[in-house]
Amino acid sequence: MANDKQSSLLEEFIPQIERTSFIQAIWIFFLLAVIALGFYALYLQIAEGHAVTGMRDNVVWGIYIVNFIFFMGVSYAGALISGTLHLFRAEWRKPIIRMAEFITIIALLIGPIYILLCIGRLDRLQYLVIYGRIQSPITWDVIAIATDIVGCFIFLYLAILRDLSAIRDFQDAKIPNWKRKMYHILALGYQGLPEQKKRLHKATDIMAGMVIAIAVIVYSVLAWIFSVTLQPGWHSTIFGPYFVIAAVFSGCGVLIVVMWLFRKIYHLEKYITRKHFVNVGVIQLVLAALFGYFTFSDYLTKWYGSERNDELLIQLLFDEYFWLFILSNYVGVLFPMIVVGIPKLRTIGNITISAVVVILALWINRYLIVVPTLESPYLPIQDSRTEWMFYNATWIEWALSASGVAFFALMMTIGSKIIPIINVSEMGDKPVPEEEIL
Amino acid sequence: MKKNSENNPKKSTRRDFLKKSLATGAGIAATGGLVSAYLDTSAAESGETVKVLSTDGEIIEVDKAHIRYPRVSRKESREGIPGKKFVMVIDLARCKNARACVEKCQEGHHLPKSQEFIKIYLLQDTENTAPYWFPKPCFQCDNPLCVSVCPVGATYKRSDGIVLIDSERCIGCKFCITGCPYSTRVFAWSDYPEYDEDTQPYSPESSSPGLEGTVSKCDFCPDLIRVGKLPYCVAACPMGVIYFGDIEEDVVTNGSETYQFSELIRDRGGYRYLEVLGTRPSVYYLPPVERQFPVDRGFDGLDEEVRSRYDNTPYVKKQKKR
Amino acid sequence: MKKIKIAYFLWMVTILMLLVPALSAQEDNEPEEVSSVGTYLNFSTLYSSNDSVELSAKLSIRRGRTFIELQNAPITFSVSNGTDQLDLGEAVTDSTGFARLTVPLTPPLPADDEGLISYQADFQGTDKYDSSSEVFMSKPASLKVSFFEEDSIKYIRVTGMQFNPSGEMEPIAEESIYLFVPSLFRPLPIGDIWLDEEGTGYVDFPPTIIGDSTGQILVIARIDEHDLYGFVKGEAWSSWAIPKYFLAEEKPTRTLWTPIAPLWMIITLIILLAGVWGHYIYAIIELVTIKRIAKENEY
Repeated sequence: MANDKQSSLLEEFIPQIERTSFIQAIWIFFLLAVIALGFYALYLQIAEGHAVTGMRDNVVWGIYIVNFIFFMGVSYAGALISGTLHLFRAEWRKPIIRMAEFITIIALLIGPIYILLCIGRLDRLQYLVIYGRIQSPITWDVIAIATDIVGCFIFLYLAILRDLSAIRDFQDAKIPNWKRKMYHILALGYQGLPEQKKRLHKATDIMAGMVIAIAVIVYSVLAWIFSVTLQPGWHSTIFGPYFVIAAVFSGCGVLIVVMWLFRKIYHLEKYITRKHFVNVGVIQLVLAALFGYFTFSDYLTKWYGSERNDELLIQLLFDEYFWLFILSNYVGVLFPMIVVGIPKLRTIGNITISAVVVILALWINRYLIVVPTLESPYLPIQDSRTEWMFYNATWIEWALSASGVAFFALMMTIGSKIIPIINVSEMGDKPVPEEEIL
Repeated sequence: MKKNSENNPKKSTRRDFLKKSLATGAGIAATGGLVSAYLDTSAAESGETVKVLSTDGEIIEVDKAHIRYPRVSRKESREGIPGKKFVMVIDLARCKNARACVEKCQEGHHLPKSQEFIKIYLLQDTENTAPYWFPKPCFQCDNPLCVSVCPVGATYKRSDGIVLIDSERCIGCKFCITGCPYSTRVFAWSDYPEYDEDTQPYSPESSSPGLEGTVSKCDFCPDLIRVGKLPYCVAACPMGVIYFGDIEEDVVTNGSETYQFSELIRDRGGYRYLEVLGTRPSVYYLPPVERQFPVDRGFDGLDEEVRSRYDNTPYVKKQKKR
Repeated sequence: MKKIKIAYFLWMVTILMLLVPALSAQEDNEPEEVSSVGTYLNFSTLYSSNDSVELSAKLSIRRGRTFIELQNAPITFSVSNGTDQLDLGEAVTDSTGFARLTVPLTPPLPADDEGLISYQADFQGTDKYDSSSEVFMSKPASLKVSFFEEDSIKYIRVTGMQFNPSGEMEPIAEESIYLFVPSLFRPLPIGDIWLDEEGTGYVDFPPTIIGDSTGQILVIARIDEHDLYGFVKGEAWSSWAIPKYFLAEEKPTRTLWTPIAPLWMIITLIILLAGVWGHYIYAIIELVTIKRIAKENEY
């Protein structure tokens, strides 16, 4: 069934699935160790209560919620980038689309875990369904994230279906029987018949549109958790679109880093070229501008209107959090713009560094949205134990954060062991003409 | 008994069988009020004791903190006391940070020392205005954002205006804490041995701290109101700072003085804190005019730890500079 | 079935565990109190309008600077005319330490020349508590509350009377009377009246007082801790109060904070969910069709 181009591509990528190198094994072991540390931290948190975290009555949400926003944001990368590029039929997307989809689904599975870590009584989670109140943004979030996960799974499945059938049909693969059986079941008997092709294409188009829409809703709902409250610094109408833009921005950064890593690990230099980095870099540049614009609008109006509590918050940001604020909202905006904006600087390395900066800046940005606001409530923090006034994350929280990142890396690694990290079928459809790349 | 056993094995060992036996075995026939009292020995001892005669004529001594009143059902506690709407008036001119309200409230609700349902702020509105002591209970808002954002309906507003929390429903997401613009809600970060379930079924009205991993807050002491008693903070204040009453009746009292609520608010320029937020609190303040104490009196006799809690206030900072 | 058995067993164990220490506790407790403790009686009388007297005695012990009330203690009340002691009855203290007894004033109780009656309250004492006794002297009196309207102004009138030993009544002249209305926790003072030589006085009916839902309110007139009369109380119902307006009746049912959400929210949610999940179902149907096509082609 598969054409020649596809077969030769498969031949190239099948070793990735067939075996795991020693270094890869060490890597996986290392990730598992970090995750195990996270589990130990989780055990302590459940056994001894949330007292083991740095969170207290004033700052009730800490880096868990920051990680939640962050991973949910990262998940948006795939949804928007693969979805939009699919709908626009951008040819150059083909080598990177699979990575974007992986990022989406994996980050989407990790994100909600962090909101669970904020919950004091995990044994009562079922109450969210039994006693759910739809006035609560948390209920909106539960519904939206569940819908998003289902949608993203369907989209990802549609996207890998052709590759699954290709591997199933690729007889030379030296893979164990159970794996072959798995491919057989998962491929649903897809053989590339015209009718099948037509239906798959239609379904993919629809789901591409849906994941874009649902991701906008999910991210807006997430922003509303903050902006429906009266807290100075959160109670902002701009938060919905601001969070959506920030999400795609951070997702872009993660995509660039993932591209760079897989390119190095699986030697994909032939497929993922500087052009791809520049193209995603340009998207990142546009998003950096938008992100900067939203950040500026939000803080400018707060500063200019200078309501007392907004003023106190901005004072805190420029006082206690000065360097973090500069790094996230100045460096994080300007650096990717300069790197991609000046043609001479557009090297793969530079763009990747800018992506790392973006990821860091965005994580800090969320920290600066969550923590300083809780540290400057309407009523000043008084008559409260002095050690309870400011937030400092404990090792438990850091360990659980690290294990989230490790889990992300592990899932990316395992994912690439199941399905080729490059979309073999789409690549096989038509050679990628250079001139079609931006 | 069942709800906490899995994560707190030490609970059952805390039971004080001796005291319990007095409650069940000897029995106390309290006849005073609408309901009869019983003993709850799970509570921390207050040190204050009450002499009671047992039915066989023997006089026994029990800890005051152990005397309880029967609880209303969880369903009933969601509805509220019919025909009432409770209101609190706090006279800022009289407060001198004596902290009796804080301590009695902690004692009455069996709170650990790390939790306060009522806090006392040292506020100074601007640089050129005078600082004043500001006791802050839960405002029991008529437009309670904390209730709006609760995903499971664990916190709710009743017909009598009181906003309560059902500790057995709360999932501990803390959204209500961030939803409250007055920072009145507290979280049980770890397990408090003070809390132990007694033989009575749980009621959100009963004065107990939140279970581990749940949220709790000032509740206007509905269990006391039901037996015609004033909330702990009102009864405890030596200065009579806090007035409490039914706004439908238009009467508030601090225990010794009783006023018509509307007249008190009219004559003393009563206001609600941060009215601009639209939460419509049930707590009113009388401005600190013609004060009975200089503000510095509020530092008298404070523990060093408590005193240090005011170190970051503009007033104390300014004093230290001099 | 098994559950019931376990519950039964647990009950037995609990009862046993409660009983055993109860028996041993008695031995432990007794040596603690070596000498008996002195008790204090607070005793006073209250004359209500209905020709009877309410005797109330509060029994307490002193612990440091605070007094602790004793509950369930029997208090006996009596009255004396200097030589004879007439028993009035017995009452038991409640949880607040109060023992109350109402005694009719007809036939009249023995009084001295000035009309003062010597009431006495006694606590017999137990092994651990000393006995105590207190005498309170007071002259029976009554306060009558009535209402009248003149030139469309509403007034409360109070008439005070005292009972002479001869049996005849005489006005309470030149005395201050305090007026209250009952409320949830404490009575609300609504003014005071100076009784003239005829024993009457009046005051404007307060225009802002809130009564029950039909505007009924109980007005109470009181003399407190008087040298001669002790406590005297009179009360009457008036319908001049403002009817109580129940906020609770117009409780909103569909707002952000009520259990049920506003309608627009539910509709929006349904539209959004139906839209999104409809498309999901469409995509899944396409997948199923792909599988069916494969089967039809006998792959």
